[in-house]
Amino acid sequence: MAKVKNWQLNREMEYPYEEKKPKKQITYVFDTNKCIACQTCTVACKTTWAAGKGEETIFFNNVETKPYGGYPQKWDVNTLKELNEQEWGKGGVYKGKTIFESESGERVTGWRPEERSYAFPNIGEDEVLGNMEKGAFFNGIHDIWMFYLARICNHCSYPGCLAACPRKAIYKREEDGIVLIDQSRCRGYKECVKACPYKKTFFNMVTRVSEKCIGCYPLIEQGEQPRCVTSCIGKIRLQGFMEDAKEPRRDSPFDMIVRIKKIALPLYPQFGTQPNVYYVPPVHVPKDFLIQMFGPNVEDAITLYRNMKDDKELLAAFMLFGNTPRIIHSYKAEENHAVGYNEIGDEIVRVPYVEPVHNRPHWDAQFQTFRHNTP
Amino acid sequence: MKSSRKQFIKSGLLSGLGTIALSSLPLSGFSQAFSFFDPLDIENPLRGYPNRGWEKTYRDMWAYDDEFTFLCAPNDTHNCLLKAMVKNGAVVRIAPSYGFGKATDAQGNQTSARWEPRCCQKGLALARRFYGDRRAKYPLIREGYLKWINAGMPRDIKTGAIAQEYMQRGKEAFVKITWEDTFKYTALVLDNIARTYNGKEGQDKLHAQGYDPLMVEATHGHGVEVLKFRGGMAPLGVTRIFGINRLANSLALLDNAINNKGPEGSKGARTWDSYAWHTDLPPGHPMVTGQQTVDFDLFCTEHSKHIIVWGMNWITTKMPDAHWLTEARMKGAKVTVIACEYSATANKGDNVLVVRPGVTPALALGFAHVIIRDKKYDADFMKKFTDLPFLVRMDSQKMLKPTDVILNYQKPDLKNYIEILKKGEKAKKSPEQGAPFVDEEMAKEWGDFMVWDETKNALSVITRDDYGKYMREKGLNPALEGRFKVKTIDGKEVEVRTVFDLMKEYVMENFDPKTIEELTWAPVKGIEAIADEIATNSGNTLFAMGMGPNQFFNNDLKDRAVFFLASITGNVGKIGGNVGSYAGNYRGALFSGIPGYIAEDPFNLELDETKPSKVKKYMHYESAHYFNNGDRILRMGNKNMTGETHMPTPTKSIMVSNGNSLLANSKGHYDNVVNVYPKIEFISVLEWWWTGSCEYSDIVYPVDSWAEFKYPDMTMSVTNPFLYVFPRTPLKRIFDTKGDIEVIAGIASAFGNLTGDSRFRDMFKFVFENKVEVYLQRILNTSQGTRGYKFNELEAEAKKGIPALMMTRTTPKFVGMEQSNEDKQWYTKSGRLEFYRDEPEFIEAGENMVVFREPIDSTFYEPNVIVGKKHPCIMPDEPQKYGVDINDLATDTRQARNVVKPWSEVKNTKHPLHLKDKDYKFIFHTPKFRHGAHTTPVDTDIVAVWFGPFGDMHRRDKRIPFVTELYVDINPLDARELGVEDGDYVWIDADPSDRPFRGLAGRKNGPEYELARLKARARFYPGTQRGVTRMWHNAYGATYGSVAGAKENANGLAKNNKTGYQALFRNGSHQSCTRAWLKPTLLTDSLVRKNNFGQGIGKGFEIDVHGATGNPREAFVKISLAEKGGIGGSGLWEGTENGTRPTYENDDFKKFLKGNFVKK
Repeated sequence: MAKVKNWQLNREMEYPYEEKKPKKQITYVFDTNKCIACQTCTVACKTTWAAGKGEETIFFNNVETKPYGGYPQKWDVNTLKELNEQEWGKGGVYKGKTIFESESGERVTGWRPEERSYAFPNIGEDEVLGNMEKGAFFNGIHDIWMFYLARICNHCSYPGCLAACPRKAIYKREEDGIVLIDQSRCRGYKECVKACPYKKTFFNMVTRVSEKCIGCYPLIEQGEQPRCVTSCIGKIRLQGFMEDAKEPRRDSPFDMIVRIKKIALPLYPQFGTQPNVYYVPPVHVPKDFLIQMFGPNVEDAITLYRNMKDDKELLAAFMLFGNTPRIIHSYKAEENHAVGYNEIGDEIVRVPYVEPVHNRPHWDAQFQTFRHNTP
Repeated sequence: MKSSRKQFIKSGLLSGLGTIALSSLPLSGFSQAFSFFDPLDIENPLRGYPNRGWEKTYRDMWAYDDEFTFLCAPNDTHNCLLKAMVKNGAVVRIAPSYGFGKATDAQGNQTSARWEPRCCQKGLALARRFYGDRRAKYPLIREGYLKWINAGMPRDIKTGAIAQEYMQRGKEAFVKITWEDTFKYTALVLDNIARTYNGKEGQDKLHAQGYDPLMVEATHGHGVEVLKFRGGMAPLGVTRIFGINRLANSLALLDNAINNKGPEGSKGARTWDSYAWHTDLPPGHPMVTGQQTVDFDLFCTEHSKHIIVWGMNWITTKMPDAHWLTEARMKGAKVTVIACEYSATANKGDNVLVVRPGVTPALALGFAHVIIRDKKYDADFMKKFTDLPFLVRMDSQKMLKPTDVILNYQKPDLKNYIEILKKGEKAKKSPEQGAPFVDEEMAKEWGDFMVWDETKNALSVITRDDYGKYMREKGLNPALEGRFKVKTIDGKEVEVRTVFDLMKEYVMENFDPKTIEELTWAPVKGIEAIADEIATNSGNTLFAMGMGPNQFFNNDLKDRAVFFLASITGNVGKIGGNVGSYAGNYRGALFSGIPGYIAEDPFNLELDETKPSKVKKYMHYESAHYFNNGDRILRMGNKNMTGETHMPTPTKSIMVSNGNSLLANSKGHYDNVVNVYPKIEFISVLEWWWTGSCEYSDIVYPVDSWAEFKYPDMTMSVTNPFLYVFPRTPLKRIFDTKGDIEVIAGIASAFGNLTGDSRFRDMFKFVFENKVEVYLQRILNTSQGTRGYKFNELEAEAKKGIPALMMTRTTPKFVGMEQSNEDKQWYTKSGRLEFYRDEPEFIEAGENMVVFREPIDSTFYEPNVIVGKKHPCIMPDEPQKYGVDINDLATDTRQARNVVKPWSEVKNTKHPLHLKDKDYKFIFHTPKFRHGAHTTPVDTDIVAVWFGPFGDMHRRDKRIPFVTELYVDINPLDARELGVEDGDYVWIDADPSDRPFRGLAGRKNGPEYELARLKARARFYPGTQRGVTRMWHNAYGATYGSVAGAKENANGLAKNNKTGYQALFRNGSHQSCTRAWLKPTLLTDSLVRKNNFGQGIGKGFEIDVHGATGNPREAFVKISLAEKGGIGGSGLWEGTENGTRPTYENDDFKKFLKGNFVKK
């Protein structure tokens, strides 16, 4: 076991391989406050990568309702249970065990789902915690609640799947940090399925090998964001890259959101894989559940989100979500617009904070017609 | 390693796929190709990987040959231009176009990239439908129907009826026929029906068949008037769907062939409604504003500070526009969600208020109570823009008129933003209509009004011209409150009061927060907080009203009450403060030139493509609700409550395009199947997917899917600012289909052959010449919002995925812009927002005032009772007046039952079904959801499997009708009381007197009851209140064939083996518990309202503006266990086994729910 630095835990941890950062790391931000659980991402992914035989119940991307939903069922509850006592100390230092720090001597702490764990992919849809007996009023934090959690492979910095693969058929691409299962070398031992705490590697019963989200690398290689991002009509997603070896850049929307403002948080950081999908926590949900899910910075993140209108630098980064299929590398908060740039600094998107109003004359002399809003 | 294209397509079709997948590569090509590699040792897979050649596999999977754009336009209001990616000639996947941020108008205005992307899961899965097994693939005729035609179309001599042996709809197979025969048979049977019911003899036959005499009279002896046509949501295809109306209009030529009465004496066929039929029309909007609907493009949220999402599940039904709501919130606007459950949208709310279903009018008046109590109302807005200061006579309940009090009063001519047409004067063409216009006679009938001028402390005349700033300029300052005595010209002293005074009395006496809490279940704290938020944001509060409140019987009262609330806070007609009704896509009038297409004079056709058409309307519009109501009008005791302008004819033939709602997803659908369809002599549909409507058809015309359009078309949206073209696509037709417009033209041509009248063919000349753009350009030229556009340019842009902007007065468009910002009048008699209705129909109903009626079925109390203490202006005609017992609460009687009771009495009443049987205790409502747009895409497997908790691709439990099934959401505590577990199958029964169909007694063992009685899984759903159950609306119901299939098929699929139809229920549907309801105040001949198209004002029935709506949220039911949820009908449903279901949580899951895996 090597010692690696996990910045999300603010400590070193054990991992089977030496730390090696990719040149840049694929990174996503998901704003749960905008997710509408429409499953457009799910279908975009499914129709692109996983519509074949043996893939009937495989969804690299899914959206589930928390707390009652889970695909596969209980994916997180079971891992949380395996880890036992989890505790965050002062300064956000994680004091519990990660999945790589098993006391039983297992390489990675995990559990293997059954075939039927993947049945009922939307179990729990829209279901709330609490019972709505008769009439209610909530203001701010909701007494009875649910929220939507969109999930893909986290392309972790310390992947559980990679750590567990006995054939070393899983690797992290050095150019972008995307984690892949080599479909030619995999022999279907399903160790990755057991090890991934997010249950985002899948065993295909027809090909007899495991498969997973590929971060849409054929698109990434052309400078385009993945299908689940570019089809997201809730505009909850932004994909780009982070380089956590360097000082955070204020002109990087990812550094601004994740590292400077810390408004978006990793999913179950205590698992220890240093996941690279960051979530803005839902502002209406009681904090205990959220701390369990997103770590100790939840309350600060919610306060920031509620005050975003007063922080133009942050707002501008959020205004860039879902406007262009191109990958945004840097951005600027102008007076009336948020502007995004590609890798070589060319402007690729410019959007107003407020969509403009167009007024037309009642009598349009150019086209010889009256115009009405009630035609 | 290359698999042949043909083989691929074939396997794709068999498995219902249109997509290349890893596993479709031959086995030998994949894993085996790599199995000869030497063993590798990779030191650190974080550091890199030696053999990355295999990554090419996914790059190849992504690669495609070609792409094209098509428009996806189910009736969901959005309309998305989508990019189809093509490989080997087949569409393999679909993506958003990313062209919406490039939309411009003819003046150079442009949208921003914030409009991207626009699509949804249903659209992205369409490739699986284009090639799906349930496509309507070739023309089909029902077996028994072909027999009837071949037998020479025999009929009963006396009644004209067709023997039932030929009319076994839904139970028979279909026969493949040629397109030529399809058209020929259609013309033949329509001609036969029209001749059968023509003239006096025809009317005698209709009498003999038992139709209401008033309906028979309404045919005026023209047989063509029993032929009904419906272009479903016709604005979704201005030429191809509205083409059905054009066909109906041209049947004046058929009438001419039968009766030889020429252009002056001939009649066209009857055309049915869409927006009102779907219960999408908010019927109170025309009562308050004089026009169809007030709404706003949803991105008006950009300019608002407080957005109320009321009975609207915005994030599930307005998916591509959900971000405007969440972004407004992110940027600081408050979002208030009001719903009868913790709705999906509730999780985006800053304020969430959960209330009893069907109480919206009371809740709105409850908010108004707080605002009036705290004197936070906007008196200036009320005086300038509403009738609230107008005086009402207490002796007659009529408005006080100048002619009542001023001898020889001379009404001044109206001059301000209205044009008065002299007798015989014709209306201007649409582009020249700058202001509303009305004929002289009607303007005279309106008269003027009276107010109490506070400045002069005296009575004063107020005219329609004295609106907004013009009233102020005249120096008028009308009193909002007060009781005054006036002397009438006949010497009487009469008490008069202002409308506001009367409303205030009703609101303050009946709807204080404590009472509202009891009545609506909304906590006092929430009522106070939200009322305060509305008042604080006067002029900046958007009321986004959803379909929920609109689907109750009190829907017009809901609109009037919400407008009252919005008006007293100045929230009408402002960009960030307005009322909007969100149900359906409807405003065909955005193409105000459409009448020139649908009502082109068939006797005087314009065949020069450069010239505009000549208009003559021969078709007659009517509401489809009478057909839906058992082909009956509304009568109460000794009185007909159906206005003459609304009067339907008997329905003997139905042709419908682009809509499953009429025949298979209608309110009270199974009553129609059992009691109505057998009397209809021809049913035909134009469809590209085999819907429930196809199941009950005689002829199915298979049409092109959106991806295969060879004839372009256009549409619009009421929720976004775009003008859309359906571009022609390069994709070859997959089956033997035709364009909708080609089908219609083909039928017209067959009529030409049958009658020898060549004008039939000329009606569709430009279709036969493949120049449908001639009609489209004519519509662009003559419509106010599109004049200036060239169709070919719009189509070229659409092919790139870019729509255009609709050129309304403003973008975003929002109704009321002119009225509240430019002092231009509304389309009412007074020109103002009207809250007092003194027409006789309203006074009789007790609805001259804005009152609250309990729901007509979805209530625990006495249905449809008017809630209120004694009030001088709420004195309706009670049942005795019509010769009906006041205690008669039969469902039909309830519709016109006017009984007033204060809440203190109402709260002690019970629903009559509950009095008879205590098990009747649940409200059952059927809203729309994210996984379907009506019934469209809901049964695409990869979409369907996400529909709720029971989706299972492997269908381990063979009782599941498909890979998913519909279910009823019930509060777990209610379910437990019934002995029902999560996932058990239950029966859901509504009032047996009329549901699932009339005449149930004695037929409980018959096939009809097995078909129609609703059985579905129960889901433990803690977000719904106790006593309130919910089933989603978007699903294909059971048909005779699917019921048989579920029993016969080894795999248990509820699939009709004769047709391929796939149901999402084994028995019944979400419409098993609904029925048609008719409300007297929607059937008046007196309501003044703008016509559907253009600026003209008329009165009485107007298609999709004033007429019957429906009430599909009205059902009071009992629920009982049918089958256990476990496999084989024993034990618990599999999903409960994990300990993660509500009320089944195991200890681990409880710990998880509390967040206790992390130490506090």
